[in-house]
Amino acid sequence: MVLRIAFQWSVIALLCVVLKDCYADDRVVFFQEQVVPILQKRCYPCHSHHSKMEGGLALDWRSGWEAGGSRGPAIAPSDSENSLLVTAIRHLDSELKMPEQRLPEKEIQILVQWVDQGAFDDRKVQPLGLDPQQALQWWSLKPLSKPNLPAVSRLNPIDCVVLDKLHQVGVEPSPTADRKTLIRRVTYDLTGLPPEPEDLDRFLKDPDARAYENLVDRLLHSDRYGERWARHWLDTIHFAESHGYEHDVGRDNAWRFRDYVIQALNTDLPWQEFVQDQLAADYFHPGDSRRFPALGFLGAGTFDLSTYSTATVTFDYLARDDLVNQTMSAFVSTTANCARCHSHKFDPITQEDYYALQAVFAGVIKGDVAYDADSTTTTERTQLQAILDAAINRDARVLLSESNRTFTELQASQFSQSVHWQPLEYQTYLSDQNTPLTRQPNNVILAGGKAPDKETYTVTATCGLERITAIRLDLHVDETLPGRGPGRAGNGNMHLCEFEVRIFDAENSQPKLVKMASAAADFNQADWGIERAIDGDPQTAWGINPAEGKPHHALFVFDEAIPLKASTHLAITLRQLHGRSHVIGAFSLSATSADTSKLVAFPYEVEQAMKTASQERSNEQWLTLAAHFLSLDARQRMQALPAPAYVYAAGKSVLIPNGYGKTQPASIASPKTIHVLHRGDFDKPRAEIGPGALTVLNHQPPRFTDVSMANEVERRAALANWIVHRDNPLTWRSIVNRVWHYHFGRGLCETPSDFGRMGGLPSHPELIDWLAVWFRDEAKGSLKQLHRLIVTSQTYQQSSAHRPEAEMLDSDNRFMWRQNRQRIDADSYRDFVLAISGNLDLTMGGPSVQYFSQSKGPQSTPVLDYQAYDWSKANSGRRSIYRYVWRGIADPLMEALDFPDLGLLAPQRSFSVSSLQSLALINDRFVLHHSQHMADQIVRSSGDSQDIPLQIHKAVQLAWCRAPTSPELEQMKTLVSTHSLAALCRVLFNSNEFLFID
Amino acid sequence: MSFCLLIEVMNNPWNQLDRRKMLWQVGGGIGGLVLAKMLQRDPVGFASDTVAQVSKTRSYIENDQPRVKRVIQLFMTGGASPMDLFDYKPELERLHGQMLGPKEKPEGFVAPAGAIMKSPFRFAKHGQCDRWVSELFPEQAKLVDEMAFLMAMTTKTNVHGPGTYMMNSGSLLPGFPCMGAWISYALGNLVDNLPTFVVLPDARGLPYNQRGCFSSGFLPAIHQGTMIDAAAKRPVPNLFPDDRYAFAARDADLATSQLLNRLNRDHAEKHPGDSRLDARIASYELAAKMQLSAPEAFDLSRETEQTLSNYGLSQSLTEDFGRRCLLAARLVERGVRFVQVWSGPQGATNNWDNHGNIQTELPPMAASVDRPIAALLRDLKSRGLDSDTLVIWTTEFGRTPFAQGSLGRDHNGGSFVSWLWGAGIKQGVAYGRSDDWGYQAIENKTYCYDLHATILHLLGINHEKLTVRQNGIDRRLTDVHGQVIKEVLA
Repeated sequence: MVLRIAFQWSVIALLCVVLKDCYADDRVVFFQEQVVPILQKRCYPCHSHHSKMEGGLALDWRSGWEAGGSRGPAIAPSDSENSLLVTAIRHLDSELKMPEQRLPEKEIQILVQWVDQGAFDDRKVQPLGLDPQQALQWWSLKPLSKPNLPAVSRLNPIDCVVLDKLHQVGVEPSPTADRKTLIRRVTYDLTGLPPEPEDLDRFLKDPDARAYENLVDRLLHSDRYGERWARHWLDTIHFAESHGYEHDVGRDNAWRFRDYVIQALNTDLPWQEFVQDQLAADYFHPGDSRRFPALGFLGAGTFDLSTYSTATVTFDYLARDDLVNQTMSAFVSTTANCARCHSHKFDPITQEDYYALQAVFAGVIKGDVAYDADSTTTTERTQLQAILDAAINRDARVLLSESNRTFTELQASQFSQSVHWQPLEYQTYLSDQNTPLTRQPNNVILAGGKAPDKETYTVTATCGLERITAIRLDLHVDETLPGRGPGRAGNGNMHLCEFEVRIFDAENSQPKLVKMASAAADFNQADWGIERAIDGDPQTAWGINPAEGKPHHALFVFDEAIPLKASTHLAITLRQLHGRSHVIGAFSLSATSADTSKLVAFPYEVEQAMKTASQERSNEQWLTLAAHFLSLDARQRMQALPAPAYVYAAGKSVLIPNGYGKTQPASIASPKTIHVLHRGDFDKPRAEIGPGALTVLNHQPPRFTDVSMANEVERRAALANWIVHRDNPLTWRSIVNRVWHYHFGRGLCETPSDFGRMGGLPSHPELIDWLAVWFRDEAKGSLKQLHRLIVTSQTYQQSSAHRPEAEMLDSDNRFMWRQNRQRIDADSYRDFVLAISGNLDLTMGGPSVQYFSQSKGPQSTPVLDYQAYDWSKANSGRRSIYRYVWRGIADPLMEALDFPDLGLLAPQRSFSVSSLQSLALINDRFVLHHSQHMADQIVRSSGDSQDIPLQIHKAVQLAWCRAPTSPELEQMKTLVSTHSLAALCRVLFNSNEFLFID
Repeated sequence: MSFCLLIEVMNNPWNQLDRRKMLWQVGGGIGGLVLAKMLQRDPVGFASDTVAQVSKTRSYIENDQPRVKRVIQLFMTGGASPMDLFDYKPELERLHGQMLGPKEKPEGFVAPAGAIMKSPFRFAKHGQCDRWVSELFPEQAKLVDEMAFLMAMTTKTNVHGPGTYMMNSGSLLPGFPCMGAWISYALGNLVDNLPTFVVLPDARGLPYNQRGCFSSGFLPAIHQGTMIDAAAKRPVPNLFPDDRYAFAARDADLATSQLLNRLNRDHAEKHPGDSRLDARIASYELAAKMQLSAPEAFDLSRETEQTLSNYGLSQSLTEDFGRRCLLAARLVERGVRFVQVWSGPQGATNNWDNHGNIQTELPPMAASVDRPIAALLRDLKSRGLDSDTLVIWTTEFGRTPFAQGSLGRDHNGGSFVSWLWGAGIKQGVAYGRSDDWGYQAIENKTYCYDLHATILHLLGINHEKLTVRQNGIDRRLTDVHGQVIKEVLA
């Protein structure tokens, strides 16, 4: 019994404990399993949201019975005597008998027990009726249509909506910020960098009425834009460059995805294509090497190597869960994984929907996926693969096409000028195991008696040739051998460990070992190739599994031709030392004097076909020859192709990084079967389910029934198409709100990855809708157009100054009567410091820079030392986006500035202030080094003059985009003259004016 | 600085700063309370709110005068073997050598189960409470009358990574705040001159999951554990600038802070209404206080020879863990709220993951912590800290009663042991029981949720009400589970 429990627990859903709303707690179990079914069956028909609420009473959520109906609260927790519900079901009050047909006593007892134990009820959110029409009334699920905007005479539609709301609240918008503030704000926002001094100067003086719009255009055209916005997306999908967990192994090929995202943003790839690429670039753009790395999306999250190795069932479900969660949060702002153990409690997502989403990813595993960095290579590889496939399938249409037939004929004729093999004349043939050997017709030596464990044959022979260039060993089938042989192991296999040839001259009795140049066989067992029979290592051998039951042969080519005299003898030793009777059953030996270039070991059937005259060959024989020569050629050409590139992604066949640059292969032959799991428990699989998405939305069938079950790529493609469908209301709302969130520091809906009922309600739903439709239909999914529309609005350009009278009415600026002041994020802090200290290196792309030293750790996770990094190194000035982000070993400076823990999705950055953060900002070596660097630069650019005010002026201008006031200058002069300009730079890097964007 | 500051202002009698003065300094009147809320949760800090709402966010406080104010958690990395330390199983002696384990390898076992293996160590009863303890823990054995044992701890995984996460954050997945972070978030600090949550990892390396074990997850970064390299010359990272930068040397440092302060104040004056600016100003003042206090806290030179020797600092086997235990005592004494002391790094050796040979691998690990732990408990008592300090001894899971190979033990989440000591703890009790093999918890099963709920309860926090909304879910340290274990409470 003990063991039984143990085994069950091992498969019990770890899943359940991971997320909320599962049921390990007894009260929860009792409530969900015993109480709810009774309520559903007996009470809901008259008292629930999706039927009716008789007497105003709803029993499908806690507040329903707490508030009660016309008679007051229905339940007094822990007091069944005074609970109306109990009175009603017990039929104690003739006025209040519910239901009319008295419940079975057992059910009454359960409800009474529940009430007496405190009426635990975790249904805390008002239910949404399962009626889809009702469900679709939720703001984010409503069909998209472009609302009519309020008639406010402004050009930018954003301002129309915002001003109208402000008028309703009675708050005036703030004035436009000054130009210095605007350029610093929009340059940070769009590129993550401070404005260049020249750009600032130009903009401040620009008389053009469209100076700001022109600035925005310049910034959007800058490559810095993609570098800035890529990080937002990488946060959203928890992309980092190591596995996380116990074996926090680096992913040295993950950067290709980061480069893809930067590129996609900079080229303004339409949103729908961006989505499609990331889920299924291999389907939508097969062979397009620029798109392929987009699949890195699938590999963005964590990978628990230890669970993968030792708890495979758990791993599969958790790995797919992570992908479902990431995909649905990032693209459609939906928390689908809440439906893992039971249908979502707040949103109309069924448990079946959740497992249908798991089924989308049932054919992939995370790891390095190979692709061709050059598209022409892909084309060629595809063609060659087609030939190999045709050879395996003996597809006559391909193999015997005119050109291929010609090629085959040429090859066959080239090799069929048959090499003459002279049978050896055996003098002795001996077994060291005393196995009886008999000579058969055709010069075959057949082993009889009981097969020994190991065997060594020695044959002495003469040969009629004048010289020998090679020896041929033929293995023959025989009815007396197991499985017809040619070996004597149970399956007919044999292992030839070493094949040795020695020469004896009559005059010279010392044998001479012949040196072999090469060996070839008609068939080689995987990892048991013929070369192993001449490598001098008896541990290795040539094998023929699984091609037993057929004749085979091997050629042993001499290093140099051996001249023979009449008196010369050959001694040939066949060592077969692997045991378990992996010994040869029947063989013959022959020799040739032919030129070694002609010596090829063809498979038996091929050799037979070649021996047959061209005009007499059967169609089968032609197929055999074509398959042989074409695949030989294809394989050779494939080997000559450039080596594939790798991106850390997910696919059906991958290499999993497992530490210090090593990998292990993994593959999923065909998508795994997915079942709906009762309560998320692996041990309780229910109905099998195919790929699909959310049933509540009706723009497309929710189950992807027309995809080929075996082809996992189609599943991912189907989900991508479901997402980017023009009538999917979530997709378009999600992206416009996400973009808004970054521009204003907060979304129109404040939970950018959750548009469900646990998320925030939008402050301006009509604006989200208008933007969503506009983005889809007019901007055609162009993010740059969306940015332009937003940042050129008056709403965006407002001053961020606080106004007490406005705060009285809208204290937290929900209606956007000012812009929000933002603290620069961790990545930008670093980039700002690099930029103004003159150390910014704008090299784009490529493997990530490791701003730490790496050494071997106790297991696969290395030891990283951030303090050991030398900031004067050549690549130290690369932008933060090119920083190697190790999931479990964060950069202390970045962490202090709220760089997120990417174990989870991070659609929003948090904000914190602490003494530890201040210590990091004031003492971190990065800050100190660049304080010095900035000072040196300024002193140099000032012609090494001792003009301290000039130096201060330059430093302040760079950090704050303005000149110092004279009191400031005086204070700064004191510091600089005593402690150098670097001390001032350190102050500037810590100043609020530097850290905040107005 | 932070939220903590506010909490401190409101709750901490030690605080030398006048409450009104501090609020004014931080943000002015109500702004200070607003600041508390903002630092605590708002991503970008849209200031202003009402006091009522601020206090509502603290509705999880169920006891203003909690029994426990500070916690030391001792974590044995790798899965300390219960049946070789505290969970005596005579049945294993009877069945030794028999193949009674699962036929198929359970999820998370490294290898198929071998034969039943008895403990190679002698057990004896100790104390008034007659608690069985193996010969590997002779020093702790003397203190069992002061401890409360959880004999039926259980977890939901047999894998180190998820298991270590679970014992720390209540989740098998990464990205969730650990207990120390939740406590920092909920209660803030006791003093403002030291970090609220300090982590003292083994000198030989980080535990499984690296720094994920002390992450603040989705809580603001301020709540993460501050990792201290106890053996380093400068244990607190970035406490002082590197010597090579002359412009940051001592006198320059002072002038720098003064100028920074003045500039930031001028800036704040010109940008009224934004309490984040004031908070940053205050944070530098607190940083300066930390610079003054931290070196003293980490300086063991003023401890007596006797104390150092009690903790085992004079012996190489106990030196590292002993030093960190002593530091833990000094830190809680000085007002650090939560200290985590790790025994063992990740990996195959030097920790409690004794797959190969229990008889040779476990004794040195046990010896490296036994004396320091006993010294810690006695020392806390002598410093008078036991009145409001809780010490917990934990690990991520137990080990199999079956041999792995012939001499080691495999991972087993089915049953393991933790103990509690100190304020609010009923002395000399044991709660829960495992089966006769020590394979599965069978009576009063205790999950991390229950342990966490109990610790939060002792700190005055209702674990069901301490929630943070994250991606559509109200997250708790205890997920949807957790019962306070009244049986171990005094």
